[in-house]
Amino acid sequence: MASRSAAQRELAVHRRLMEFGEAESLATPEWEAKGTDVETIEAELARLWGGPEVAPADGDGEARVTEKGLPHARASVLNLIVTVVDAEAAERVVQTMMSLGVRHPSRAIVLVADHESKGESLDARISTHCHVAPSMEDERICYEEVILTVRGEAAEHLSGVVAPLLIHDLPTFVWWPGDPPFAHPVFDQLVELGDRLVIDSADFGDLLGGMRRLANLRHRSGVGDLAWERLSIWQERIAQFFDAPRFRRYLPNLNRMVVRYAIPAHRPSPSERPDPDAPIHEAAAPMAQAVLLAGWLAARLEWRRNKTVEWLDGRGFRLRLEGRHEMVDLHIQPEATDSVTPGELTSVHLRAYGETGAAEFIIDRSSDEATVATNADGMTALLRQVMMESPRPAELLSAQLTANPKDPVYESALRAAVIFLAAARSGEPLSARNTQVVSAAQELGG
Amino acid sequence: MPPASTTVVPVLPDQVSGGDGVRKIANPLREGLRLERIPEPCTMVICGASGDLTTRKLGPALYNLMLGGFLPPEFSVVGFARRPMSDDDFRELLRQGIDQYSRNRPVKASVWKSFSQGIEYHAGEFHESGSYADLAKRLDRIDRDRGTSGNRLFYLAVPPVLAPEIVKQLGAAGLADTGEERGDAKRGWVRVIVEKPFGFDIGSARKLNREIGEVFKESQIYRIDHYLGKETVQNLAVFRFGNGLFEPIWNRRYIDSVQITVAETVGVEGRGEFYDQTGALRDIVQNHALQLMTMFAMEPPVEFMASDLRDEKLKVLRAVKPMTVADVADNTVRGQYVSGWVEGHKVHAYRDEPEVDPESQTETFVALKLGIDSWRWAGVPFYLRTGKAMPTRVTEIAVQFRRAPLALFARAGAPQIDPNILAVRIQPDEGILLRFGAKVPGQGLQIRSVNMDFRYGSSFAVDSPDAYETLLLDAMIGDPSLFTRADEVERAWEILDPILRAWPEGKGGPLHFYGAGTWGPPAADELLERDQRAWRRL
Repeated sequence: MASRSAAQRELAVHRRLMEFGEAESLATPEWEAKGTDVETIEAELARLWGGPEVAPADGDGEARVTEKGLPHARASVLNLIVTVVDAEAAERVVQTMMSLGVRHPSRAIVLVADHESKGESLDARISTHCHVAPSMEDERICYEEVILTVRGEAAEHLSGVVAPLLIHDLPTFVWWPGDPPFAHPVFDQLVELGDRLVIDSADFGDLLGGMRRLANLRHRSGVGDLAWERLSIWQERIAQFFDAPRFRRYLPNLNRMVVRYAIPAHRPSPSERPDPDAPIHEAAAPMAQAVLLAGWLAARLEWRRNKTVEWLDGRGFRLRLEGRHEMVDLHIQPEATDSVTPGELTSVHLRAYGETGAAEFIIDRSSDEATVATNADGMTALLRQVMMESPRPAELLSAQLTANPKDPVYESALRAAVIFLAAARSGEPLSARNTQVVSAAQELGG
Repeated sequence: MPPASTTVVPVLPDQVSGGDGVRKIANPLREGLRLERIPEPCTMVICGASGDLTTRKLGPALYNLMLGGFLPPEFSVVGFARRPMSDDDFRELLRQGIDQYSRNRPVKASVWKSFSQGIEYHAGEFHESGSYADLAKRLDRIDRDRGTSGNRLFYLAVPPVLAPEIVKQLGAAGLADTGEERGDAKRGWVRVIVEKPFGFDIGSARKLNREIGEVFKESQIYRIDHYLGKETVQNLAVFRFGNGLFEPIWNRRYIDSVQITVAETVGVEGRGEFYDQTGALRDIVQNHALQLMTMFAMEPPVEFMASDLRDEKLKVLRAVKPMTVADVADNTVRGQYVSGWVEGHKVHAYRDEPEVDPESQTETFVALKLGIDSWRWAGVPFYLRTGKAMPTRVTEIAVQFRRAPLALFARAGAPQIDPNILAVRIQPDEGILLRFGAKVPGQGLQIRSVNMDFRYGSSFAVDSPDAYETLLLDAMIGDPSLFTRADEVERAWEILDPILRAWPEGKGGPLHFYGAGTWGPPAADELLERDQRAWRRL
């Protein structure tokens, strides 16, 4: 399951995340053992929180107790399971989580499954991570992290290894960085164990295939997509256009939507990159956000697919959709730029016809700012400059960790995105099968 | 973009009755969005725009809202004050304020550029009708040019004495009329924000309410008390009504007494003149402390929305047992600090502060005992205390539960167990603490009280927005939950009226003195000792 390219993508994810690292964090190694068993690990975890008398503080005498003599605050909020492909990747998850200042998990379990090894064995390493809480300078919030390397046949039964180590009665999140192995039984096991699966569809090796799997995932848990989370500021800005009732009437009359997303302007050759650790700005599926945004608007406004006009070599497409009152031209286009992270959106242009002529609603982004413009009602164009910072990964992940398990708005956007991608790829004019986007889920499911 | 940490359903602009009375179609794109709410386009007129509040609080709050994209592009600001100034001068004044006081600094040039295009300055005298006629024309022009749809928010950032005059003039110039009243679909809503203090006593509060009420309807009036941040109100409501565990014991049967503490370490900090005329009772008890008490003691509202919430809060205030002037000496203690040490710094006596009368009788500390005559609270004393130059800065509500009915462990040699305490801490770090007895491990039976401590900060690690940002946005959206209604204000003054009358006549007990850096005069301790209780040590 650890193909070379998947591992590379996973590496890229962590490098990307690391760049945004912000929190000061202290990691204290607590315990390590090779060839151990789940029961021993459980006992070690229990000992960690035994308090100052049972587990004396080490060297500096303040590892477990604050200046006021209180134990470091333990915030029991959730369990987080992270799956990675190898020990190196596990190390990166640890670094990433520290630099992210992920203050949410009460217990993070990083799983390294090594299917190839002969013979079963279980290695474990426990550390505690402490963060200084905002506005409480003498107080640290700690969580513990367990890195488990599972070898041999046991690697096929990961849920049995993890389940006893979770804190009871807390929601459990499964974060699968990189390209998740949807077809693998271990994937199903772990997803079943969790209340919510967190992935990033921009990391899918096969965007259509991955999104289709995601849309068909049938289990009690919800799906959190970091690519979707990155769109929330765009959705907010777009919704804002139509908060004013006089502009809202243009909404059913939209006839053109152009979404552009960033791709690298300049691809450095290996010789130009002497530092192998330099961050790789590359998402496996940079089109993910753009398609999801189009899917969102289409699902909200109940646009129907009409026909495919153009398929741009896997990097964009043009579809003709049937809106409420107008035919809608949907364009997804790549834009070569270095000022915006690849995969992020660079602009959204909407156009509509109203009683007083054409109206345009435009968001143009460059680096961390955007120009938001409304040109309608024959009025002077309303322009404003707003911040459009990409949310830091810590915020993305935190938002996912506090979100409601089920998000019907995401689910309908995802289904629409799948239909767009499938239609665009097949390239056939499908006007005969004029399927309403929102209700097309059944068609997909079958 | 903080992750949503509350379960409160946001009020969308669509659900607010617009001034035009036309039912608006909801924005389908809003469905399921997690971000905050955005108000309709509007113009905010700041009366008293050259003052301190504008540069320190309002400017930075508006800028941060714009920066976060919470304001629509049409949003416009008109500064209105006497001082002659050009639009550019006023923009520069705001910009300097933002540079100095904003939580996001320095000013982002590009964001400021687009924001400042919507900022104008209107020089005029507050008592001249001509200034308002000109203002009306200016606002009409802004509506046309910028599409602010006739929606207006007037912010009275002026000393309280000026408020009635400005309100009267606004009314005379037709600026308080909504579109509905004028049969003019182009006119939107009109709201006015009034700063505290709301009056000086019951008489002046009623007069102020009447004067504002002659021009604006109650639904248009937003009385701002920034002390009550949104989080506190919602946290307390969720704690009480979102859990099945606490509400059943939230009554006289299980609760012995309640203590509310609002302690500040600072002295009067350059506000000597204002404070010397005001005192702790008017400054803190009338609004902040009584509001905390109402939120703690109120019945569950039918719905978590402004009108229900405020009805329930008012019921609590109405049930507060009226004091007679004769009761005042028994149930109140007032104090004034003399020199001492706070947090390692020497603090001068209150009377030595600048602009304070050297023989001032103004109280800097108050302790009160109140009762609420309701089925839920009859017989449960509510002890309130607030003071300046206290040892620590803390705001909390602490519930002391009744003791266990039997001293079951006394025979085994364990002494009387301390009662259980549940403390809702509001400042400095919001949280909840539960204190209960536990057996000390080992042979024999020793019981010790232990604390179970929950902090919002350590569980959610999310920063709350500045109070002014939240409140300005609420006013623009039309959500008055966090603003005080006229009847609440008046009832709070009624409760304090006997005290305000007794003290100057010397009937309410003497003014005690306490050293800065102590928890008030010994008389405050005696107030509780008479009931066999003691203040919590904080």
